Amino acid sequence: MSKFTRRSVLAGMGVAAAATALPAMPALAADRSIRHFWWGNPERDKRTFAVIDVFQKHHPEIAVSGETVGWGDYWTKMATQTAGRNMADLVQMDYSLLFEYARRGALKTLDEHIGNGLDLSNFDKGPLSGGYVDGKLYALNIGSNSQVMPLNARLLEEAGVTADPIVWTWDDYADACEKITTKTGVKGSDDLSLTTECQEVWSRQNGRGFYNADGTLGFTVEDVTDYWNYWAKLREAGLLRSKDKTVILDAPFAEGGMIMGETAMSMFWSNQIVGLQALMKDPVAAGMVPHKAGGKPGQFIKPSMFMSLTRDAKDVEAAIMYMSDWVNDPEATAILGLERGIPANPNVRAALAADFTPPEKVSVAYFDSIQDKVGDLPLPAPKGHNEVRDAYMRIGTDVVLGNKAVAEAAEEFVQTGTDILERAK
Amino acid sequence: MKRFFLRNSSGYVFLTPWFIGFFCLALGPILASLYLSFNRYDMVADPRFVGFDNYIYMFTRDRRFWKSLEVTFTYVALAVPARLIMALTVAMVLDKGLRTISFYRAIFYLPSLLGASIAIAILWRQLFLADGVVNKVLATVGFTGPSWITDPKTSLYTLVVLAIWQFGAPMLIFLAGLRGIPRDLYEAAEIDGTPKWRQFTRITLPLLAPVIFFNLVLQTIDSFKVFSPAFIISNGTGAPSDSMLVYTVFLFNEAFKFFRMGYASALAWVLLVIIAFFTALAFLSSRYWVHYENERD
Repeated sequence: MSKFTRRSVLAGMGVAAAATALPAMPALAADRSIRHFWWGNPERDKRTFAVIDVFQKHHPEIAVSGETVGWGDYWTKMATQTAGRNMADLVQMDYSLLFEYARRGALKTLDEHIGNGLDLSNFDKGPLSGGYVDGKLYALNIGSNSQVMPLNARLLEEAGVTADPIVWTWDDYADACEKITTKTGVKGSDDLSLTTECQEVWSRQNGRGFYNADGTLGFTVEDVTDYWNYWAKLREAGLLRSKDKTVILDAPFAEGGMIMGETAMSMFWSNQIVGLQALMKDPVAAGMVPHKAGGKPGQFIKPSMFMSLTRDAKDVEAAIMYMSDWVNDPEATAILGLERGIPANPNVRAALAADFTPPEKVSVAYFDSIQDKVGDLPLPAPKGHNEVRDAYMRIGTDVVLGNKAVAEAAEEFVQTGTDILERAK
Repeated sequence: MKRFFLRNSSGYVFLTPWFIGFFCLALGPILASLYLSFNRYDMVADPRFVGFDNYIYMFTRDRRFWKSLEVTFTYVALAVPARLIMALTVAMVLDKGLRTISFYRAIFYLPSLLGASIAIAILWRQLFLADGVVNKVLATVGFTGPSWITDPKTSLYTLVVLAIWQFGAPMLIFLAGLRGIPRDLYEAAEIDGTPKWRQFTRITLPLLAPVIFFNLVLQTIDSFKVFSPAFIISNGTGAPSDSMLVYTVFLFNEAFKFFRMGYASALAWVLLVIIAFFTALAFLSSRYWVHYENERD
């Protein structure tokens, strides 16, 4: 051992360093390959890998590799791969981050491929339009959804709630909470004080949005005060889920109030009805977010997910072929079903309708019934949205716990949100 | 010079894996983070040099930065002494020569391995929510407890309790240290009729001082870097009301949730300075209370 000298050791280290610095050799196995990266859950991953198998069967010359992680880690990994110029060829994109990625040049436009590899001849125009940034198509809609109030149908019936949940008002909702709590012993609703998605609908009913067109905060102190007061009243009357469960932020889906049998009503995105029913025995019905009497439409239909072609895509032709199959191929679309949202291709919808499961039927019937009751799709959120959402939940926590007066907290939130957006510019 | 390296060459060979790891894996990112701390960098667009802006913003305008310092210092001040006292107490009980000592050692070490697991987050909620086990026990003696884990006034203490529970690693080191104290000192004290308490303060503590010092430094560094329990119990948010926003959770959110890599790098360097300061303080103070047996004055 004593033959090792400093020089030989250092030389050895140099070799080791050189070895690790060698670039990865290109894969030699398949002549062509594409990578597809999405955020998922076990059900979605199963379906997506099955679609990859179908594509492989039709195009054995193209090797497709799938990568998936949960929503929380997805954007971290995506940002890291973007920084490393190593993005997957095709990525799942969310409406809130589309502008950010497209405007920084991380995505390629799809316009030149339409009718030239990408078949969109049977595609609804409305859902397609959400993927445009500055007049160019950067993202293909692979499902649409909207806000929804899932309802425990058994409890609502037992309590004798008769209001039609598609057209009900905030007063009807409060009334339903009261009936459910007194007649069934289960609390009427989750406490939605910390749900920015619900506050957004509330503000839109007042003619404002989460953000203004120039990217500043749209919520006013009045919006937030009124909204928080609405829930405070129900909370004080003992009609909502307990405070200590409410202030657990971003709790796992399976710990939700309806699933735990603690509440009868809540709020989600409509494609989640399928996942919610899978964890509940009682039948789940779907209602709209309550309306403001004489107010504007609050809800909107948005693309639940997109597929985008990235700057780092090498075999663009293969990637476009894959993308086109995703929204047209009967075999692939049958596997995907409604799990990612309502497909934008009417032929696909018609084909799926034959074998809908009960929650899928609820989901589609709900989607049909809200079409003329929704407003325009808002612009994608500006940079800093994640942080504004965090601030809303943090300051709202003090309201729920009774540590801060509503008006004071609402003012603090609007100030904090404005500062965050200014800093993120 | 040459002879020095020849004499120590086998030592360097054993260090090679560490050297390779440090030079090939760690050094680059460390230097890169120093560079990035002077940039605005969101990982998608290229970094933009902003001078000392990140540091200035941190100290002058970022209220959550100060909040995270407050939370972290409170945590360190409570968790380090509490865990060390717990570890020393259990080590002294085990040192009395239980026959099943290896069994107990393993049992007491177990929580240290479990601390960062998701199961703990669930367990802690079961224990410390309003309708949790702790309050049910308290109810039997007529006391109504708050919802410990979701009340900003008490949530940090549940983290401290978790830290105390994970006393395994320092306990093992204390146990080894106790075993190194010559028995005849105690026998002599026993013959002189010295009470147990004085034996502890006059024999055990002074002779154990180097081990206490070692544990103190390690635990302080560890506690400043505490991440997993706070991250898991608060679902990564530091909630409620930032009461569990320890420094590294704040840093993680800035980096990987809000994509402020440059700012997060600056935060990391400030943490390094803080830890270095307290470690240096411990070393400077040690000359007044730590004595090594083979030390020549």
